[in-house]
This record gives sequence, structure tokens and C-alpha cells, in this order.
Amino acid sequence: MRITGTERDADPDGRPVYLLGVEIAQRYRHAVGSSSPFYEGLEQGVLRATRCTGCGASWFPPRRFCEEHLTETDWYDLPGTGTVTAATRVHSPPPFGGIDPPYILASIRLDGVRGGITHRVIGTETPQHGAAVTVKFIDEAPAHPLLAFAFAIEGATP
Amino acid sequence: MLVAGVGMTSFVGFRNDASVRDMVADAARAALLDAGLRTPSPVDMGVAAYESDHFNRQMSLGQVLSDTVGLTGKPVMRVEGGGATGALAIRTALMAIRSGEARSVLVFGGETNGRSVDRATAIEILSLSADFEWETPVFGAFAAPYALMITEHMRRYGTTEGQFAEIAVKNRRMALDNPLAHRGMSITVEDVRSSAPLSDPYRLFDASLLSDGAAAALLATEDWAEEHSPTFAERPPVAVLGSGSATDRPRLSDRTDEMFPHFAAKRRAAAHAYREAGIDNPPDQIDVAEVYDSFSGAELQAYEDLGLCPVGQGGQAALEGRFDREGQVVVNPSGGLMGRGSAVGATGIAQAVEVVSQLRGEVAPARQVPGARIGMTDTHAGVGSLSVVNVFGRVG
Ligand SMILES: [Zn+2]
Repeated sequence: MRITGTERDADPDGRPVYLLGVEIAQRYRHAVGSSSPFYEGLEQGVLRATRCTGCGASWFPPRRFCEEHLTETDWYDLPGTGTVTAATRVHSPPPFGGIDPPYILASIRLDGVRGGITHRVIGTETPQHGAAVTVKFIDEAPAHPLLAFAFAIEGATP
Repeated sequence: MLVAGVGMTSFVGFRNDASVRDMVADAARAALLDAGLRTPSPVDMGVAAYESDHFNRQMSLGQVLSDTVGLTGKPVMRVEGGGATGALAIRTALMAIRSGEARSVLVFGGETNGRSVDRATAIEILSLSADFEWETPVFGAFAAPYALMITEHMRRYGTTEGQFAEIAVKNRRMALDNPLAHRGMSITVEDVRSSAPLSDPYRLFDASLLSDGAAAALLATEDWAEEHSPTFAERPPVAVLGSGSATDRPRLSDRTDEMFPHFAAKRRAAAHAYREAGIDNPPDQIDVAEVYDSFSGAELQAYEDLGLCPVGQGGQAALEGRFDREGQVVVNPSGGLMGRGSAVGATGIAQAVEVVSQLRGEVAPARQVPGARIGMTDTHAGVGSLSVVNVFGRVG
């Protein structure tokens, strides 16, 4: 932390007030923990989800245990296809960068799992509700590991 | 359970003359004086409401604020529930009094969400409100998940951009009559639709404000108020009639197709609060409501999920002015988050300040809802991951 400056200003009644310029930089090592098999899958070009070893219920994003039965879950590979629930064109970049605005963001129901993902759709066309999409691995050195992939609208010109 | 006193600061873009402590001190002092107290000493407990250590630059702020408002020695707890923080603090005070642990609780909340934080830093901090592991990396604007919800609402019910733009116009116009509001404006639907795009279909004027501000409320049992609050007998008492809270999947894409364009937690919280308050026909029984208009369409969706109009008719209701000044229920007479502004920890309390003042008949005539007897507040965290609904009523 550091003080970048001390500023003397005036309040609405003209009385002197003081302000401190403060800079705080924070750095972390963020453990993705139980999501590690998903990150390993990204290196192998596959999306992974979890399911209950008892009842077979499945989740994306992955869960550590079945919320019905408290059973530990195990991992499996998803086909990487899905259906758009809704999509929007976003006009500013995400916080870690890696995508130039405007870009398309969609809520996608993933095949083979109960659940979905909000993620980037490739191209400039905003897909409609019900549009079929497929995962594409597009970046080997992404700004964030999750940006290694995006979804392509089926039938759209690449 | 009475609201013995309320107080708040103005909400502004930046207070160069006050820290969050100063603002909370002013709001708390105003609430104590409103109750007619000459000292804070009869108050049993404090509840501190603030969302973010990042915005306020102070950990353990609850104790600092408790000391600032004159409650050192008394128990205090800090309550956090995202955008619902202030309302959750009121609900916590209610639970403390209902449990018998306290007879009077001072709730105080504040936040410096305004320009003490530069724009890039504010965007960075706000991006942490989404799921840091799964959503933050792809969310370029906090408008994005709201935009996805309203897009599906538009497809399913024929809701239009013009309908929710009416809400953006209404709330800014309402704020013109509120001297404590951050920024009242006289704008048109065309102004809203031609403002800068954030995340389609939302534009800049569909979004709400980030403010500096604080608010406070003193909750007490009737016997405590009779004993300690000289103003109790002088004006129509206002009580908390009911309170409800519920959660939903925090990540939008985890929700079911059926509920995707709706705030499920809001429905559950409202049902609970209405049951306690004896409300079975909300639009007929509720006179005034402060609703969480983080985005214009979120207010439209809230009309439906709070039961103020049938599901799918929020757009039509907005167009008809059903929740405007002369409407069936006056929604956001303070100006809401778009006009009065939002200082997160204070917001749900500021809503209560407006509703209680309305029920007492104490606001400026231009803003007063005539004969208001029942009012409510609605806030949520994230895109509805947590909802809190509090219902207030004039009892006498
Ligand atoms: Zn199971």
C-alpha cells in the first residue's frame, strides 16, 4: 500500500477538507481446488462435469457432493454441445481481458448434464433461444483459462 | 415491532467532506433524534450493514461504526447480503427482537460506492459479485446477466425495450421530488434508448447509480418505545408487519428453463413476508413499494415476482403507469436506485426510511402517497441469489 498524495479540497460550504490518495495492490494464488479435473480437461480439449455415484444426478459447474444424498461425486466428459437459453451482445471487455468488445455472451444449457454455463459465443451474430452450439477450443494461451474455449453456433459460417 | 426512528444522509456521487464513518454517524444520530432519544444508552444492540471491505477500505468496520454511533459496550453484528444487505440488517434486528435477545436495535448501514473508487477499480470490485470462478472471467459488464434474463422475458412474454425504458424515466422523474436523491432527471424513453449500450438490450440509462450514503433505523418493542421514545406517542406508529428472505442458484445458468426470466427467491421471500403481514392481495393492500431497480427491467420483473401484477404483464403495467405516481401501487417514490441512488449497505435501510416516512405522512407533498397505510421494500443480491422483502404498516 502507499499514499499517492494528500489533497486539500473544499466542502460544499467552502471549508477545507483533506483527501488521501491510496493505492492498494493485491496478489493471490487462487486454488481452484475441486474444479482441478475441469482445468485438466481444458488442457485435453474436453469439458467435464460431475455426477452422483448413487442417484446419477449430474452438475455443471461441478459439485463436490450430491446435494440430495451427500454422496461424493465423480467426473465424466461432456459431449460439448448445448442449446442457447438467451444471448446478449456485451459492450465492454471482461475483467481479465482476453475478449475485444463487443462480443456475444450466452446462457447455454449443456447436453449430458443438468445445468449450464454462461459463456462466450464466437462471431458477431446473437443466437436466438433454442440455437444449437458446440464447444471449440480456440486459444492455447488465453487471458484466463476459461477463455481457452468458446461456443460456435451450429450452421454458422466459421 | 415498531420502527421508532429513521434517518439517512443524502445519496451523492462523492462526499469529499465525509468518510463512511461520518455518514453512518449522521444517519444514526438522525434516527436516534427522530425517536426522541437524548442518548444512545437505552439501545440494546447494533446491527451494522455494509457489503464490501473493498469499497470501504476497512475490515472489522462493524465495531468501528458501532463505536462511532455511540454503542461501545453493546453487542454488534455485521450483516452482509450483497444488494440486500441493508434489508437483511433490518430483518436481523427483527429476529433479535423477536427472539427476546433485545428490546431495541439500531440498524446502521453505509457504503462509499461513489467516486472515491476510480472507474476501473469499481468495475474490478463489482466483477467479484458474480461467481469469481465461473462467471467473472466472461462477464464484461454487470448488466450482462440481467440482460440475459430480460432477453428471455422479452421472448416469452413480448416485453419490449420501450416498456422497461418507461421505468428508467419514471424513477428519475420521481427523484426530482426527493431532496436527498443522488440525481433526479427529466428524460424521455428516447433518451434511454439512445444512451450508450452496456449489454443488449440494456443501455446506460437502464442502469442504476453508485452512490456514497448512509441510512439508519431504530427498531423496538412497543413497551421499549413507550419507556424511552418521547416521539412514540406524538405520531402514527409504524410497525414491521412481516419479513421474508430466500435464496436462488447464484449462477444464472444453473437455474431451470422455467424460472430463467424470473426471480424465484423474490417470490419466496415475498410469500413469506406477505403471510406474516396478512397480505393476500398485494396490489390492493400495498400502497407504496420501494423496489430494487438495479436495472429498469429488473423492476419490471419484480412487479410480477412480488405479486403486484400477473406474470408476463409487467411490461404492460409499466406502459400503463400502473406503478407510477397516480398508480395502483406507487413504486419507488424516492427515485429508487436509478434516481435516489445506491450505497449498497445503506440501500435497503434507505428504502425503509422512505416507506416509514410515507406511512407517517411526513414526506414532501409532491412525493407523498396520500393515505398510505402499508408499504414494502424489496432488494436482492447478485441477479437474485438472495432476496429480502420487508413489509411495514401504520398501526393506529
Ligand atoms: Zn445423489
